[in-house]
Amino acid sequence: MRFKHVLGLICAASIAVALTGTASAQDKTVKIGAIYPLSGNAASAGVHGKAAIETAIDIINNAHPELGNLPLTKNAGLAGLGGAKVEAIFADNQGSPAVGQNQALRLITEEKVVALNGAYQSGITLTTSAISEKYGIPYVNGESVAASLTERGFKWFFRVTPVASDFAKIYLDFLKDMKAAGAKTDNIAIVHENTEYGTSVASVITSVFKENGLSIAQDIAYSANTTDVQSQVLQLKDKKPDVVIMVSYTSDAILYVKTMQALDYKPPLMMADNAGFSDPSLIKTVGKLAQGIFNRSSFSIGPPGSPTFLINEIYKKKSGDDLDDTAARIMQGFFVLCDAIDRAGSTEPDKIQAALKATDLKPDQLIMGYRGVKFDDKGQNVLASGLVIQLQDGENYIPVWPKDRAKTAPMLPYKGW
Amino acid sequence: MRRLLWPSVALALVIAYPLLFSTPFQQRLGALVLLYAIAASAWNIVGGYAGQVSVGHVVFFGCGAYASMAAYSHFALPPLVGIPAGVVVSVLIAAIIGVPTLRLSGHYFSMATIAVAELVRLIVTNTDYLGAAVGLSGPTVPRTVLDLSFTSALPYYYLFLSVLLITLGITWWMANSRMGFYLRAIRDSERAARSLGAPASRTKLYAFMLSAGLTSVAGALYAMMFGFVDPESGLGILISVKMLIMAALGGAGLLFGPLVGAAILVPLEEISNNLLGGKGAGLTFVVYGAIIVLIARFQPGGILTLINRLWARRRKAPATTVTAEATHAP
Amino acid sequence: MSSILVQVIVGGLLLGAVYALFSSGLTLIWGMMNIVNFAHGDFVMLGMYVAFVVWTLLGVGPFLGAPIAALVLATLGIIVYFGLIRSVMKGPMLAQILGTFGLALLLRYSVFWGFGANFMTLPENLVGGTYDVLGIRIQASRLLAGVVALLVTLGLHLLLTRTSLGSKMLAVAEDSTAAQLMGIRPDTMQAIAWAIAAGATGIAGALIATFFYIAPTVGETLGIVAFVTVSLGGFGSVPGALVAGLLIGVIESVSAYWIGAVYKDIVVYSLFLCFLWFRPQGLMGKS
Repeated sequence: MRFKHVLGLICAASIAVALTGTASAQDKTVKIGAIYPLSGNAASAGVHGKAAIETAIDIINNAHPELGNLPLTKNAGLAGLGGAKVEAIFADNQGSPAVGQNQALRLITEEKVVALNGAYQSGITLTTSAISEKYGIPYVNGESVAASLTERGFKWFFRVTPVASDFAKIYLDFLKDMKAAGAKTDNIAIVHENTEYGTSVASVITSVFKENGLSIAQDIAYSANTTDVQSQVLQLKDKKPDVVIMVSYTSDAILYVKTMQALDYKPPLMMADNAGFSDPSLIKTVGKLAQGIFNRSSFSIGPPGSPTFLINEIYKKKSGDDLDDTAARIMQGFFVLCDAIDRAGSTEPDKIQAALKATDLKPDQLIMGYRGVKFDDKGQNVLASGLVIQLQDGENYIPVWPKDRAKTAPMLPYKGW
Repeated sequence: MRRLLWPSVALALVIAYPLLFSTPFQQRLGALVLLYAIAASAWNIVGGYAGQVSVGHVVFFGCGAYASMAAYSHFALPPLVGIPAGVVVSVLIAAIIGVPTLRLSGHYFSMATIAVAELVRLIVTNTDYLGAAVGLSGPTVPRTVLDLSFTSALPYYYLFLSVLLITLGITWWMANSRMGFYLRAIRDSERAARSLGAPASRTKLYAFMLSAGLTSVAGALYAMMFGFVDPESGLGILISVKMLIMAALGGAGLLFGPLVGAAILVPLEEISNNLLGGKGAGLTFVVYGAIIVLIARFQPGGILTLINRLWARRRKAPATTVTAEATHAP
Repeated sequence: MSSILVQVIVGGLLLGAVYALFSSGLTLIWGMMNIVNFAHGDFVMLGMYVAFVVWTLLGVGPFLGAPIAALVLATLGIIVYFGLIRSVMKGPMLAQILGTFGLALLLRYSVFWGFGANFMTLPENLVGGTYDVLGIRIQASRLLAGVVALLVTLGLHLLLTRTSLGSKMLAVAEDSTAAQLMGIRPDTMQAIAWAIAAGATGIAGALIATFFYIAPTVGETLGIVAFVTVSLGGFGSVPGALVAGLLIGVIESVSAYWIGAVYKDIVVYSLFLCFLWFRPQGLMGKS
């Protein structure tokens, strides 16, 4: 028995741990924690989200009078706190709920952040927000869609993005309109990955559709990060559905597009639920093979000179890609949080929480195409909305529905390649 | 009496750690080290002492995690109540798969354990009762102290420390018993051990079952601390690998090897993530991987064996100095 | 109905050939040196990235990409052998798992650091498009990978059984002390075996890149498949890896089509477990 060795190692480890206990000096900087997947399978989304938040910080900390009515752009820094600058402390959740929680704890207790942002994957948002709830720190999420997040009776959690049931209703209304315009939409297939994201979205879509008289003819579940999808595509080819709805992350999404081309399968109408199909790397690699795919979004870059266009220019310099819907939603969540801190005029958690509850942003104050931002007592933004976009040329997504927000008419049938 | 001096000091320091390093993060880090040490020590029984390298031990971890969360989700009981159920299920699984699997040698055994763990994970992912892909959650707001859902990491620290001491106690008792004697013989040469009359199959099976039960306790404790389990976090292959690596890094087959391994790896992971993770360049894992490679390369027996060796060498030094002084005395 | 089934089976065979292709290197070192290499999937990933770089810099596909990948990976294999493997080989299996796991992380995240997290692909019809053969769609890129799989299997098998180098390698695998006494240097033979295995894996990666996506995390996905293929085929048996690969490919495809994609892995793992329990030497391994 060598206790002394254990002792020695614990001492060494403790010294190392003590080094992590850095208390930060409080100057005129408002520190916000941002927990995102910066490694692992979802790293692409996380890294783009990081660039989006850095863009937001750039805009907030410097004067950008050209950005119109968007809050916090006219002056440098947060006017409500005497021009204090905003700083984001990024943490990698490594795709693991446990790591996410540990990082949340570190950000709150060691880095002393005034609020948290994140965490992309719904399961990780679940665990990280549980920590902020325990510590009474505001948590604003702009991008996770699992319904359960706002069903926990939490007081410190606020979600800006629409949820899965909102999107299901959008798909429903869109398909009804397409049917009225002459397309066949009776036979619907959902292809979804068998993870927390894929199963929850697929089941929400199924139940919302069912309530409104549309049934799902085919439910094809598959394991995420698979090596091959030929059989699934062949199942589709066999049953010939009128509409195929894809719920996948990027890796599998790319495989599906490639396999559909290889097997010469084109569904008459193909829809994607964001995630992988919104990833810029998918568009860059196989966009030309998926022309005509519909997607949901609440963001469009807008005409040159518009605030969203200008923001996209700044973002492009940081990330090399155009703003996609997910990164834009992350940015919007961050803006909402900073706007609340500004209105609170303080970094006290209670005051920020009160300011968040009082949020009432109008559409022209947002980069997203929501009808506004106003939270109910569950912390959900009731004015969140979305529209349907389409990848018509294989390079850019354009809004096509509803009519009043469309840039062009939907293109049917699905073109593919 | 001197033999007890160092161990007592070490124990006192371990007990005092969260009071000396009392920021929430440091306390939680300590609790995590202990938690992983429990899992790695449980693994050590079959992987280190018995020499059967299981790379699918997460299946037992998951049993405990899911049992405790299911007790809450389905029966509104404190997750603690799920621990006995988890232990029973994992010991049963160990018994059932142990018989055909422990016959296999070396790599085949490892592959079989991977296959079992992945099978269970895939089945659970498709079982709605166990939360399917979404997973099961524990109580978000603790109802009683029995829910073990604390804000501070301090209670977890002492709870895990107690469980670790029990686990190490059981391991020590086993290692010094006849079973431990047989296991050592089997690890060195199974054929020789059998020819000398050691009941190899039965011994290995018991070690496997013991290890399984203890691992499931670790899983249950994990689920209670994090309040959540899903197929990836409760049955993913990475957890098996981590248990193995901590035991191997510290010294497999040594009583304190897994604790040493956990004490190095858990802070290492956290610190490299804290310092490098936020940059988004994956440097955390480059550093982490490089360190593991270096340790494997230069000290494949584990850190503890290195320390044992250094300590043994130092023990000899004072004797020679005394002799030298004696000969040079004026 | 039945033409779709034929398509499923053909697809499965082509998929299986790919599995065999990237597993042949693993079975070679496993059989020869009894090493379990957790970093194998990441070697495949590196081969893919080499092919990508060759495409980006030279505008050429796998006809140049594969040989270059073979060379790069073989060189890396030698470095890894002398830097890490030689030491951990002497240690317990645990040390091998520890070392190769660390290596996997190191390789994966060095690539992540260098190339970023974005997914990439080679142009779609780099090796020709998809052909319609009697109503069955066959992708030229997968067919090429399948043909190369057969060639690599044949090549490695002939190398081991018909050349003097091969017999020296086998001698070292059988009994390295006896081989040493006969004037063969185990170190050299093992380094060569590693280099050849790594080179074969590089070729596999370069070819897979023509129809799969390229990302640092590909190693995780492919690594476990290689392990199952090699175990099923029998450690050390290159023809075994081919047969096992084809079998797994077809079983996967057919079960995914008939029962459902989420169950295909359950079927494969169950089959795998049965083999391990009742015929551990796999299809063609030594008892």
